[in-house]
Amino acid sequence: MRSRSDRLFLLSLLPPAATIVAAMMLMIYVFVYHSVPVLVREGLTFFASSRWSPSTSLRSAFYGILPAIYGTLVTSGIAVAIALPLSLSMTLFLNEVAPPRIRAFFSTLVDMMAGLPTIVYGLWGLFVLAPLLQRLVMEPLHRYLGFLPLFSCPPISGYSVLTAGVILAIMVMPYTFALMNEAYASIPLTYREAVLAMGASRYEASRILLSMIRPAIVGSVLLGLGRAASETVAVTLVIGNTPTISPCLFSSGYTIASLIATQYGEAPLYPFMVSALYGAGLFLLVLGLALNTVGLALVTRWRVRMGVSA
Amino acid sequence: MDRGAIAFAAMVVIVVVAAALNGYRHYEELLQQYTHIHHVEAAIVGGASSSGSRVLLQGAGATFPLPQLLEWIRLFMETHPHIVVSYRGVGSGAGQSMFFERTIDFAGSDPPLTHRQWLEYRGLVMQVPYLLGAVVVTYNLPGFHGTLNLSGRVLALIYSGKIVYWDDPRIQRLNPGYRFPHKPIVVVYRADASGTQYIFTLFLHKSAPRLWPWSLVSKVPKYPVMASGRARGGKGNPGVAQIVLSTPYSIGFVEWGYALEKHMPIAAIENSAGVFVKPSIESIEAAAREAFKHLPKDPRADFSDDLTYIVYAPGRESYPIASWTHLILWTRYPCTKARALAQFLTWIAEEGYRHMVPGYAPIPEPMRGLLLKAAHIIVEGCVRG
Repeated sequence: MRSRSDRLFLLSLLPPAATIVAAMMLMIYVFVYHSVPVLVREGLTFFASSRWSPSTSLRSAFYGILPAIYGTLVTSGIAVAIALPLSLSMTLFLNEVAPPRIRAFFSTLVDMMAGLPTIVYGLWGLFVLAPLLQRLVMEPLHRYLGFLPLFSCPPISGYSVLTAGVILAIMVMPYTFALMNEAYASIPLTYREAVLAMGASRYEASRILLSMIRPAIVGSVLLGLGRAASETVAVTLVIGNTPTISPCLFSSGYTIASLIATQYGEAPLYPFMVSALYGAGLFLLVLGLALNTVGLALVTRWRVRMGVSA
Repeated sequence: MDRGAIAFAAMVVIVVVAAALNGYRHYEELLQQYTHIHHVEAAIVGGASSSGSRVLLQGAGATFPLPQLLEWIRLFMETHPHIVVSYRGVGSGAGQSMFFERTIDFAGSDPPLTHRQWLEYRGLVMQVPYLLGAVVVTYNLPGFHGTLNLSGRVLALIYSGKIVYWDDPRIQRLNPGYRFPHKPIVVVYRADASGTQYIFTLFLHKSAPRLWPWSLVSKVPKYPVMASGRARGGKGNPGVAQIVLSTPYSIGFVEWGYALEKHMPIAAIENSAGVFVKPSIESIEAAAREAFKHLPKDPRADFSDDLTYIVYAPGRESYPIASWTHLILWTRYPCTKARALAQFLTWIAEEGYRHMVPGYAPIPEPMRGLLLKAAHIIVEGCVRG
């Protein structure tokens, strides 16, 4: 039997919780509602065509977002491919080797990186990283490994898919690191002692412990992908913004988020273009929900198995 | 799966189904809207509400005139303390839809209303080209001092990818005093839809119609050079400027004011009389004077093709990539708002053009009559209550 004050307590907390659910539902509703027109008009070719040609004439207006989907996947892929080894080695370094004071320093630093406004990364990418990558990374790669399709096109400017991937890696790293670090640090002491008691070296122990947190690593990779796919400002500034699909990392491209950000202001002038941008947004929403759901499920399942309360 | 997750999934399914059903109706409405013209009959009054004794005029739209409008608004409000004017730069398209949804009182739009829109709102809506600007071609050519000469033909060849190197004879011929390096041209364009881009491609079409067909005139054109891998898109003027500044051997186009602010080199462009002209207040006004001869003299008229007159305008002094931007107004407002708006328009015509921000040119004297006429119509037709 609940007391009166407890019931009031429950009642007072219900509205805020309901508001959050309602906001989420409203968001899904709005995105589906506005995407339907372009989907009815173009069908699934909307996702499969690389022709993005807004036009004021109804007959020739056509919107295909394949280049943006491709760009989103490639840049997020690069980001995670770079962030994963970085955060893994950071995790091992801080938990196995580093003295406590350095550990505190680094975790503060990484927490701070996670909190920086994204426009800061974007401007830094625009002014510093893009020219730097062009000179120090892209040009040598093209000169010596130009026969690979990945590096085949001449890096005539730093604003490219690769630069977007690198800046995303820097932005995603704090998150993947935090998740891995938490998982690694929360392996119960008994396991560690057991491994060391078997006579394992530090290196061997780390390998065994790492294999224990594999689900958490996969989960953090998925969550990182979700974050990278949805990042907007920084990517828009460095990716070069062309609706092209090229296997070469030095060419410019588009992501769904940068497509929406650059095109929204003038979209109402063209038939069905607003709907097309909502459709692109819906794709991103579904992708984000899927990645986050699976990622969180993996991390949670691992926590339960380890008996760690989150 | 636990019960909570199932409930959540069920909720999502319901929401998606409801949205899809309503969305289909939305599709049919849009299709109607894009294929048929409904003449809007009802008198439109109201719009953004005003509070207290102060009259509030809200505008939004094109970002191109933003610096000049903000300067005018600041000066106007100093001498008219009972009127509050606001303007937000949200893009021409967004400004137009806010205007027609009546969330704002006036819109700024780089392109005029299309013929179809004008037919729909005929008699209810007014347009005034009120501010001149220019698109300038800028470049990053190490070791080059002086002024680069370019023609619409050469620019069309560059943006369609047919001229690849700086030392192409067709560029060389326009600039006989300088030996160009054998370097590929990095071609920079605006990645976002923008009026700047429309003006630039319209210029390419008018000066080289065979090389640059009408289908490539757009706010978001698909430049043939994109396929070459030598093209880069920047977001907004800042994005284009930054790419050009940091990429040797690149070429791009930005708004005049932006190039001035960043001290970027500005090319002289061949006009329709065969003269290479740099943008200046005089050369832009000269183009507007020529174009005004073809414009309707009543703000209620159809302005839908007015940009084709100012771009590549005739005349030896005219800068060929000049443009103007429009105010979009209703003919009828509630009387308090109408009087305030008329004051603002009259103030621009009589006082505003003496306070120009670098990068813009005032419209020539005879064109200012359009602003005064619009002010007159608004006051005459105002609705009491």
